[in-house]
Amino acid sequence: MLSGLSRRRVLLLVVLTCVLLITLDKRGNPIIDQIRSVFARVVQPIDTATEAITLPLERAWNGISHYDDVQQQNEALWDQIQHMKGNDVEAKSAILEYRELLKLNQLTSKFQYKTVPATVVGASPSNFQNTVEINVGTRQGVDIGMPVTDGAGLIGRITKVFADRSIVLLITDPEYAVEAQVLSTPGSAATSTTTATEDTTLSGLPVSDLTSSTTSTSSTTTTTTQVLPPELTPITDPTQSTSTSTVTGSTTGPSAATTSSTLLEVVRETGSLEGQGAAKPMVLRFVDTTSSVTSVKIGAIVDTAGGNNSLAPQGIPIGTISRIERQTGSSSALVEVTPNASLQRLNFVAVVLYSPNQDAVGK
Amino acid sequence: MRNIILGPLLRLVPVGLIALSIQRVLFAAHPVHDVKLQFVLALVVAAGAGGGSDRGAVAGFVLGLMYDMSGNTPLGLMALAYGVGGMTAGYVHTFTPDPQWWLASLFAFVGAAVGEAAVPIAEVITGEQGWLTSDVKWTIPIVALFAAIMCPLLMPVGRWMMGVKRKKWKAMLE
Repeated sequence: MLSGLSRRRVLLLVVLTCVLLITLDKRGNPIIDQIRSVFARVVQPIDTATEAITLPLERAWNGISHYDDVQQQNEALWDQIQHMKGNDVEAKSAILEYRELLKLNQLTSKFQYKTVPATVVGASPSNFQNTVEINVGTRQGVDIGMPVTDGAGLIGRITKVFADRSIVLLITDPEYAVEAQVLSTPGSAATSTTTATEDTTLSGLPVSDLTSSTTSTSSTTTTTTQVLPPELTPITDPTQSTSTSTVTGSTTGPSAATTSSTLLEVVRETGSLEGQGAAKPMVLRFVDTTSSVTSVKIGAIVDTAGGNNSLAPQGIPIGTISRIERQTGSSSALVEVTPNASLQRLNFVAVVLYSPNQDAVGK
Repeated sequence: MRNIILGPLLRLVPVGLIALSIQRVLFAAHPVHDVKLQFVLALVVAAGAGGGSDRGAVAGFVLGLMYDMSGNTPLGLMALAYGVGGMTAGYVHTFTPDPQWWLASLFAFVGAAVGEAAVPIAEVITGEQGWLTSDVKWTIPIVALFAAIMCPLLMPVGRWMMGVKRKKWKAMLE
């Protein structure tokens, strides 16, 4: 094969062919996509066979080397389950309240989009690609650019799609960027005096009935230190400023009508969230760098901001702020975000059937 | 006809598919210190060390192309990087046509280091920023060391795959 060519010619041929293929693929070529699709089908049974051969060996090795760790982890997980059972009831009620608030504010959330469940079937074999492969594709309605989530939050977006499988670029990949917002409630600043500025009709009861039968009414001056979780706080001001609103609670019936007044101060900062590589936190770059320094705090929740050019709809949780480093000589700060999802241990995920703007996909 | 059937390309593809599958199933799922060991690259540099730089380049090109087709990298990127890696490992043949195991391992180490380092460099050239970070100072030596350890084991496979017959020394007739 190579006898007719000198060494230099072989090398030159290899390099030129590679450059040509990279150029063709980068510009988008349907033939190359078709070849990839066929190749994926060829590789699939070989992968299954290799897995069948290696799995017993792998399990035996893990059984020998990790038995104690697994036992300890199992005990810790049981303990965690007991705690979570308690939290579950509270969380369910919080979700219901959240949806009620969304309705009241006429806002939308990711719940309006259908999702396609999928299983992660493989990870990127390379050290310089942060992707996973899932077992759904165009046949299930999946398309390029769609966001992918797991139980904990956003994990990435679809970058390549075939008939029955797709490649997901994880949020920690340096190529990934998404519009994000920080929702935080200033911790100790919630003690203040406020009065109701608007009436809210609750559970079919006239406001007059409520004010006459309640122990604490919406028109009463109240002092409160309660700070709700960010999921329950209505998004108050799209111009990223701090604002105050009053929300009244629901009633259970005419004889037991009660209202509670809660002060909700929501700081909303938007920016672009970018990956930095596997096992590294993401970096959030704010649109308004000056306000972020003062208002954003460690532990604040970050979720997708939505918008016309965003790759994901509003309200998908991403992670929490884990580090803020003030930069000397600049008004901006380096804000690191740790993802909620455990990206090293992905198993079951869901593709949100949200088609982002094609310009955003092509970015 | 026999030459075509037993030719390197038709051996490269099935061996490459198996190697790729081992990489995807086994080594991608079990990183060592967050570094995924590169079995395919180890095979490429072993083929290079066993067959010379031109055969190493071709093995790297074909196996890299298969790697690209199975993943998310632009088609040709890993082919280029692995081609360079295989070629570098093959330069051992400029010293001796039949290298000792340790010399082959040494060149496999260098070839794998070059091949792995070429991946983020090629990504940067093709516009995929962000991977050329300080992390490569750990990734490259670990991947290269793995390739060097695997080289004596994979060299016979690499030789067979590329259709290289080991030289037999014969006494000269007087």
